[in-house]
Amino acid sequence: MIEDILSQHKKLFETSMQTVLRGQESRYRRIVIQNGNLVANERSEESGICAKVYFNGASGFASTSEYSDEAVKKVVEAATNNAKYLDKYNTEKKNAYPSMPYSMIKSPRMIIDFEQKRLVDICKEIDAYIAKTYTDILSRTVVYREDTMEKIIISSDAADGHVSYPRCTIYVILNMASKDGQPLELFESFGGFGHIEDNFSNLSDLYEKIDELHNKLAMKAEGVYADAGVKTVILHPDVAGMIAHEAVGHTVEADLVQGGSVAGPNLGNKVASELVSIVDYAHTAFGKQAPLPVYVDDEGIEAQDAVLVENGILKGFMHDRESANFYGVKPTGNARGYAFSDEPLIRMRNTVVLPGKDKLEDMIASVDDGYYLVQTGNGQADLTGEFMFGINLGYEIKNGKLGKAILDTTVSGVAFDMLKTVDMVSDTVTWSPSGTCGKKQPMAVSMGGPAIKCKITIGGR
Amino acid sequence: MANLQEISDKVYDYLKTKNNTKGDFSICEVERHEITMKDGKFTLFRTMFDDSFSVKVIKDNKKGTASINKCDTESIFKAIDDALLSTESGKADECFDIAPGMDEESFKYGVLTPDIDKLMERTKELSDTIAAKHPKIKLIEMFTKYVRAHVVFRNTNGTKDIEEYGFYEISLEFAGNDGETSTGIAGSWAIFDSLDKELITIGNIEKDLEDTENSLNPMSISEKFDGDIIFTPDCGAQMLRYLMMNAVSDSTLINKTSVWIDKIGQQVASPMLTISSKPSDSRIVQHEVHTADGFRSKDYTLIDKGVLKCFATSLYAANKCKVNRAENTSGSLIVEAGDTPVKDMIKSIKKGLIVGGVSCGRPGVNGELSGVAKNSFYVENGEIKGAVIETMINGNLFDMVKNIKKISKEQVCNGTMVMPYIEIGNVTISGKTSE
Repeated sequence: MIEDILSQHKKLFETSMQTVLRGQESRYRRIVIQNGNLVANERSEESGICAKVYFNGASGFASTSEYSDEAVKKVVEAATNNAKYLDKYNTEKKNAYPSMPYSMIKSPRMIIDFEQKRLVDICKEIDAYIAKTYTDILSRTVVYREDTMEKIIISSDAADGHVSYPRCTIYVILNMASKDGQPLELFESFGGFGHIEDNFSNLSDLYEKIDELHNKLAMKAEGVYADAGVKTVILHPDVAGMIAHEAVGHTVEADLVQGGSVAGPNLGNKVASELVSIVDYAHTAFGKQAPLPVYVDDEGIEAQDAVLVENGILKGFMHDRESANFYGVKPTGNARGYAFSDEPLIRMRNTVVLPGKDKLEDMIASVDDGYYLVQTGNGQADLTGEFMFGINLGYEIKNGKLGKAILDTTVSGVAFDMLKTVDMVSDTVTWSPSGTCGKKQPMAVSMGGPAIKCKITIGGR
Repeated sequence: MANLQEISDKVYDYLKTKNNTKGDFSICEVERHEITMKDGKFTLFRTMFDDSFSVKVIKDNKKGTASINKCDTESIFKAIDDALLSTESGKADECFDIAPGMDEESFKYGVLTPDIDKLMERTKELSDTIAAKHPKIKLIEMFTKYVRAHVVFRNTNGTKDIEEYGFYEISLEFAGNDGETSTGIAGSWAIFDSLDKELITIGNIEKDLEDTENSLNPMSISEKFDGDIIFTPDCGAQMLRYLMMNAVSDSTLINKTSVWIDKIGQQVASPMLTISSKPSDSRIVQHEVHTADGFRSKDYTLIDKGVLKCFATSLYAANKCKVNRAENTSGSLIVEAGDTPVKDMIKSIKKGLIVGGVSCGRPGVNGELSGVAKNSFYVENGEIKGAVIETMINGNLFDMVKNIKKISKEQVCNGTMVMPYIEIGNVTISGKTSE
């Protein structure tokens, strides 16, 4: 746990400027076992202090990897000087941000560190189970990844905070030969918020899921290519969550709206079927702690839920102080920086499509000829809302029944067009708690949703 | 500023006290200055001071690594102890090793004293130039940066490399925007070592801006056909990296999933294709002086006139798979130029695309590629007809390198790679078709 040496230095803040001081420790653990070989056994820690100073419409920033009283003075002075330096080039001065009420915000739990041996032993045990149980795979990989953060935030005119984000994930990747001898891959991730005792205290639960993964891969090995074209599909919650994040979420980050995203001119307009609502939750969703609870952001703003789409209408954006000031709304607490040396950017937290009333089995039964798209390993979208997702696992739907598995394919479309075709939404939300989003810096995020039925373009030869 | 050499002596001595242990470590100090412009205005100026220490230890044939961002000896000794503790949980493997010792050497290159005022001027000048010459470009965000590093790398076999380098970096994020419609996000990135020239001339910035401006009001392709595509240098580099990851990298060889695993010395690509990694090339700004394992980095050729010459392997993977290790860490990609001007390549296409980016996931180990063509243009009978939207390309990377039809005379260098345009035949292109 990092010590608060920062709050006593508020006196260093210049009164005419808005300053945020952040102390941060990030911890990374990575273990990779490939075919029984321990090829990575890594521990990494970084900590430091940064200051961001806003003055007349531009900001100075400085950071150092030292964590001391001297370092606090150094970064506040350097950031203040940088703000003044930039002000010389700034021809359009802006007013200060509206002040926010003071409070001290703490997240309910801190980080626990475990010996590397314990982490390695868990991975070895999982690897041994896979090696012993499955004789028909080409290769196996077990990866343990932990990326935890702890932050102390001290602001001149908003909240102070001391928060932590413990997170650990195990990935299991299996390879098997297809019926024509080509290597095929399928993976599953397990874990999420918390530490190993929260997520991996009972490995027999995990083994059941690995058995399911193996069964799915075996079906995929007998799989067929999907037909290309616009198809009726059921998107599994994992895929729907990816669309909520990539294809909608990024277009409604207010900095990207200012950059010309498709969302800007559509605020208040119908952008989806009325069955579709999307929210970026701060810390609590559906009455429970969200998978990545954010209580205060790195600008000292108490985190609020951001309602993005409500019954098909685009209702709002995610904001930091700069964009909130620009749009004349309250900041939503979406500004987060990844490393101590990273400036806060507008980032999603727990972005989710809200559940509907349909049952998954009824949704599948309603499709005569289409696909059930189950797993995506990746996705990208741009300002226009045009998106692409790789589909690693899916099944044909013929006459309302699941059929053969399909081989890897890609789906694409334009988010606000595709979401207008949604005509069924399942009643159960599943979260993907281990996401990492890339936007100049990486960032821990979670996403989720129910299954949705829609039309989408499937790529293929 | 800490005395890194003095610290490295203490760390070396400490590591030597650990019995039956071999290893290597690097201590690094980095200073960065970064200027951000948004929509033509300076919005952020950052100064960042960072230290780092990373160590790899091998004891009883078990490996452990640790890294921290501190360089005081107390923190470093603890990191070494942590790495050694990690080895206890490891699995013994004789393939773990470090490089033999090399003579002590010092390297100084690049810009060691930055001119931040000049960098500000050049940044403002670029913003003004874009506003004047490319009025339909919305410059979403632009970063210019100066990076300076001082690194000491040592291993227990006696190697001591001292490295000081500095460079400038530019990164632009922009979109075409005519007030009514917007293109998707486009970008341009390069590192460079001189502020003598206008920044718009660096890397492929000017051409990237032009292409984006021409991407407004894209057309849809309503059919599916097999045609020719020209990968731009940036996109071609992305595809070749996917190929290398799936065919010649450590994991694909250790897992035995590479389809080229037994293809050394064999023709795997068109005779037009020669791919090298050349950290000593004068066009490469940030030179690698030693590999991650501690060998002196040398240029090497991966594919020579279509023949696979070696794998891009680390020392561990080379020992594990009983193949030769790569002469460097394969980061300085250079593809030899061909003999056809880009304009003639376009003229020769009957029906196809110029592909500036592919939005796709990493292709699987079988090389199947399926993705959305981004920043791409439809070509028919040798003429560019317009930018495309909702258009997918499908093919197989291993087939694509065999189906290369032409490679351009022109090459683009962004300071880390040198790439020409590459024309590939027989790729499936599909627009938005109806159900």
